[in-house]
Amino acid sequence: MSDYMIEFVNVTKRYGDIVANEHITLQIKRGELMTLLGPSGCGKTTALRCLTGHNRPDEGRILIDGQDVTDLPTYKRNLGMVFQNFALFPHMTAFENVEFPLRIRGLSQSKRREKVMEALKLVRLEGFGSHFPRQLSGGQQQRIGLARALVYHPSVLLLDEPLSNLDAKLREEMRFEIKDLQVRLGITAVYVTHDQEEALALSDRVAIMNRGRIEQVGTPEEIYERPGSQFVADFIGLSNFLEGTVTAVEGQMTYLAVDNLSLCVATTAGAWVGQRVLAFVRPNEVELAAPGAISGPEVLEGVVEKTTYLGDKVDYRLRLGDRLMLRVQSGGIVRFKPGEHVAVRLPIGRCRVISGGKP
Amino acid sequence: MMCAIAIVRQSVRSILNAKTLLVYSFLLGFLLYMVTPFLIIFFNSFGKGWYGMRWLPQGWTLNWYQWAIEVADIPEIMKNTLVIAGIAVVISTLIALPTGWALGRRHIPGKELLTALILLPRMIPAITFALGVAKIFYGLHLVDTFLGVALAHVALAAPYAILVLSATFESLDERVLEASAVCGASPVQGFFYVILPLILPGILSSIIFTFTTSYNEFTMTLMTYGPHTVTLPVRTYLAVGEGYWEVSSAMAVILIIPSLFILFLIQRQLQPEKLVGGFKGV
Repeated sequence: MSDYMIEFVNVTKRYGDIVANEHITLQIKRGELMTLLGPSGCGKTTALRCLTGHNRPDEGRILIDGQDVTDLPTYKRNLGMVFQNFALFPHMTAFENVEFPLRIRGLSQSKRREKVMEALKLVRLEGFGSHFPRQLSGGQQQRIGLARALVYHPSVLLLDEPLSNLDAKLREEMRFEIKDLQVRLGITAVYVTHDQEEALALSDRVAIMNRGRIEQVGTPEEIYERPGSQFVADFIGLSNFLEGTVTAVEGQMTYLAVDNLSLCVATTAGAWVGQRVLAFVRPNEVELAAPGAISGPEVLEGVVEKTTYLGDKVDYRLRLGDRLMLRVQSGGIVRFKPGEHVAVRLPIGRCRVISGGKP
Repeated sequence: MMCAIAIVRQSVRSILNAKTLLVYSFLLGFLLYMVTPFLIIFFNSFGKGWYGMRWLPQGWTLNWYQWAIEVADIPEIMKNTLVIAGIAVVISTLIALPTGWALGRRHIPGKELLTALILLPRMIPAITFALGVAKIFYGLHLVDTFLGVALAHVALAAPYAILVLSATFESLDERVLEASAVCGASPVQGFFYVILPLILPGILSSIIFTFTTSYNEFTMTLMTYGPHTVTLPVRTYLAVGEGYWEVSSAMAVILIIPSLFILFLIQRQLQPEKLVGGFKGV
């Protein structure tokens, strides 16, 4: 038995001149929820369609449970799938929708009935079997979609932006419901979304895609804390990017010249004086204080340009030196007004180098 | 104070009543306007000695029906009409299925123009179109054949069928078809369990449209019929020309029967819910 439930091995898919997936290699473990996350057009849907069999990769193989399914038609892959627009059969009742995969599999009527009732109970829609899809709300339709995808115990559950047609409140609720079901059933799941919050909340691991390639694979914490590229740091959460030149390396601390400012960041392996590097810091990791209240090599001086009150936090746009703009978010009340001078601490451990230039 | 409210209330109610009365009388008037010609034909077909300014015929008889059936050979003519309509339905549907699929599900450059062209036979006056068709059909020896008359009808019936079917196919949601495959349905199973039930209402309404178009068609038939292909509408018209008002009334009543039957069928057999489901796809 293979360790991995799903494997993409060097998968490339082209549409004419456009390369939708370029050498995708990805392993998904048993019982894991893997999210393919990226902006629209990044190739996540193409990758999913390669997995369902609606797309035939131009190169590479796809394995499900150790078996090469690259040339297997969709209906033989034993997949369960939940669609963005629900894709329920409009001419069948909720019960018949959930029953459909069992009917195809030739189960007896009593067996079908039992399993459908079980699945409807799983999604808490026992009383809605006789409703037609158009008589159900969006959330209910999606739960029927979920029941239809799970009723025959497929080897893999695929979710293609299942929550994006629902309103914000329901989306949050359903998020936990889906995660709970997936954990309870121990089913391997592939979740496709462009919503980073959804991805962080649901996933065991996230694969971030950009322009047909996988930029980084890791746990939500890994990709948030240690983004491997500017794209990832920018796409997941908010980031300030600081581009500069290494001026000195002193043990744990590396000094950067950014514009005409001197910045102190944590040392990364192989840093050398004169190297061009890109560092980033999250807006909520920057500390603000009255001028002179704090000091140290990581403290800079700045001027508040704009203050926006956001309820649970305040968003400041600061100017450091002549033209370096920094975005800072801190909780609570408005402490600084536009035009005020502030002391800005960029904590050394939180100011991280993403990429460095070659000698 | 109470008294004033009561008066206001009453006057509002009487205005409402007047309005309701007006609406009903309009409706009744419109109904009479639509039904009266039919009633006159109906009485005429059973009536004896209905001349001048009489409200009702002098007596009742089934003679005109007997004449229609025995003398004018209506059963044979009904058979012609139904056979021609049947051929027209089959040909129209065979044309409309692929055409509707292409128009409804594929990106075709100049689709609007094509649709307009398809509708052309319905836009230009039927007699103009019929004259052209007749000229061609005389050359091809298609006049006075079942196929010829049916083909003339197809020119009018197929556009309907194409429009209805392209709308039906357009409403088929690609994702729903994908869902059936993911659920384990082979293409054949997917067709019978999902596609067919979703397009069947559209196909049925297309068939009903084309059938009634051919069955009722007069102008195109008039220019292409012959002794062997007289249809019921044409025979009815001829009977008027021969001066037999009562017999043509009987024919006209017989002419309605299949239409009523179809209407009944639509009401009973096609569940309106599923019909809408088929068209809208959800």
